Amino acid sequence: MARALERREPRPESFDSLACDLARFQAEYVPGYARLCAARGVEAVAIRQASEAPAVPTDAFKLAHVFAFDERAAGVTFRTSGTTLGARGAHSMRDTRTYDAVALAFARAMLGLEARVPVLVIGPPEDEAPDSSLAHMCALLSREVGVAESRDAFFVRGGTLELASLRDRVRLLPPETPALVLATSFALVHLLDEIGDERLALPAGSRLMQTGGFKGRSREVSAPELRRLLSRTFCLPERAIVSEYGMTELSSQFWEATLLDEGASPGVYAEPPWARVVPVDPETLAAVAPGSVGVARIEDLANVDSAFAIVTQDRVRRVPGGFELLGRLPGAPPRGCSIALDEILSGSESVP
Amino acid sequence: MNGSVASRVSSIRRLLAAAQRVYERREQLSAVVSESTGLSTEGVELGFGYLERSASDADLTALVGAASEASHVHVILSANVFVAPLRALALAIATAPKVTVRPSARDPWLTRALVAALDSHSVEILDERNVASLDADSLHVYGRDATIAAVRAQARSGTQIRAHGPGLGVVVLTRDAEIDAAVAHVAVDVAAFDQRGCLSPRVVVVEGSLARATQVGEAMHRELALVAARVPRGRLDPQERAEARRWTDTISFAGRTWVGPEHAVGLGPEGELPTLPPVGRHVQIARAPSLELVRTLLEPTARFIVAVGTDDPARVRPVVPTHARLSPLGHMQRPPLDGPVDRRSS
Repeated sequence: MARALERREPRPESFDSLACDLARFQAEYVPGYARLCAARGVEAVAIRQASEAPAVPTDAFKLAHVFAFDERAAGVTFRTSGTTLGARGAHSMRDTRTYDAVALAFARAMLGLEARVPVLVIGPPEDEAPDSSLAHMCALLSREVGVAESRDAFFVRGGTLELASLRDRVRLLPPETPALVLATSFALVHLLDEIGDERLALPAGSRLMQTGGFKGRSREVSAPELRRLLSRTFCLPERAIVSEYGMTELSSQFWEATLLDEGASPGVYAEPPWARVVPVDPETLAAVAPGSVGVARIEDLANVDSAFAIVTQDRVRRVPGGFELLGRLPGAPPRGCSIALDEILSGSESVP
Repeated sequence: MNGSVASRVSSIRRLLAAAQRVYERREQLSAVVSESTGLSTEGVELGFGYLERSASDADLTALVGAASEASHVHVILSANVFVAPLRALALAIATAPKVTVRPSARDPWLTRALVAALDSHSVEILDERNVASLDADSLHVYGRDATIAAVRAQARSGTQIRAHGPGLGVVVLTRDAEIDAAVAHVAVDVAAFDQRGCLSPRVVVVEGSLARATQVGEAMHRELALVAARVPRGRLDPQERAEARRWTDTISFAGRTWVGPEHAVGLGPEGELPTLPPVGRHVQIARAPSLELVRTLLEPTARFIVAVGTDDPARVRPVVPTHARLSPLGHMQRPPLDGPVDRRSS
């Protein structure tokens, strides 16, 4: 360490060290987190490893401010979709520089992007969905990794899939340059339903990112079937179709590694070095035994100003190379006629 | 009272008499009901106290008057509190001279006991699961929305279906309520059936200041602890415990919680009704500066609200859903036997 100091090299800090710093910072500046720590009997100053820090339930983003700055300093707020009770989760940031830096770094790595490529977004432009973190990420990738023509390559406008424009754009793609398609799963299902057996052949080496669930916005298609259909339609190998898992409440995303690693399995999501997913028991919130299923406690060091640890209702399991997503934790089976929250809430919890 | 009405009222009285006989032998059912419902033994005893065993002529006449006409009602019971079969059978008897009933698979005990005690050829158990094969001209379905939808989809064309879905109980404490006394009553309404009934209050709206709402939260915490000493909470399953953890942490972050070994009370945040608490003695306190704002606060959940308990029914009636049964505090689980507990149109 001394030599590193002499050379003025930054001392690498461990994940836990950074996480503990964030826990202490957030307990000091996010009032809700201080209350949560107190309710759980945790003294933030005494936290010595990340797992000791209480995780913020994603529902809290619907009910309270989850940020460590003055409300007037919020430069951007991403929101989840609404529910019957009306509350939408909100993740505010002073600005998106941290978000953009981590999103770009990991997307570039997981998509194997070294040069600019044509980017086609089967989704809305950012100005049509200004509070969607997914629309922001797609616009960011389009801007930062796309060639100049990518700037207006958004093929859902006014809620409508612009298939004719997409066909034209695909036809004009230079055959020697791989392209990148970014899309939501439900938009892709609409596309497949409209297009039938038609092919939208992408140049060799192209790749497609799909994200999000169906959330009642299209018919549901299993992940393997969707991958097969997309492979056929876009004339891509199945391993070039990668899924991304993100949430409004996070700054980081998780990606399948099938493009980079021949041994990687579809359905297994890799974490960036600054985030990790820990399956926890939904009642005790303690980590489950290796290989067991738990709900996802997500520690995201890029959530500097909000909640570095959140707990979701998504069921996950650790596997070699990352984690598997196993669907949402079901509500408790009813033992009476008292209405369950699942029956009241409609709509999705977290459209990134 | 005309002859037909009198005859049906008389039939319902025989059912109430049967309920009295079952009540007197309730210790024979206590263990199995405790096992199937998860309630503690004391919770089962408390629940038996809500089994209707008497009713006024006026209430029963109203019940018969509100019933439709059919020749054969088949009652399908799925998710209900364990004493609910009494009212379900009463409604069916008020509707038709012939009644068959499929008890809840999870919790069949009281239904079977009532039918056996009634000992009548006109009310029988029929464990038929194939709805399409039923020859009843009316189906009374009690259960989750998915169950009701499945029955509707399978029922023969022309069959009249009366659905009784899940619901929610709410308490409104006006600015004049004497907090300690009011909350002591509410705590009993909460503890009954461990909040698994649609009449069970899960939200308490307090008219007034944040300080007053905080007083209510503190009082509720005390009273639920006292109730638990007399009537311990029963068994929660792992998913219920997970929901409780999630709700408690969420409200701890967003507002304030008072957590006991067998209950939790949450307050806040201001200005909206937060996520609903799970069953199992969890109470959300919400503040409304005025009664008019109670209406606004409850509006997103209005269609689910079956019962409202309050210290001042006259002032509160205009601001709660018209279909909701309004009861004095401590009586939310004892609505008169004058119709279904759930007055939402089916």
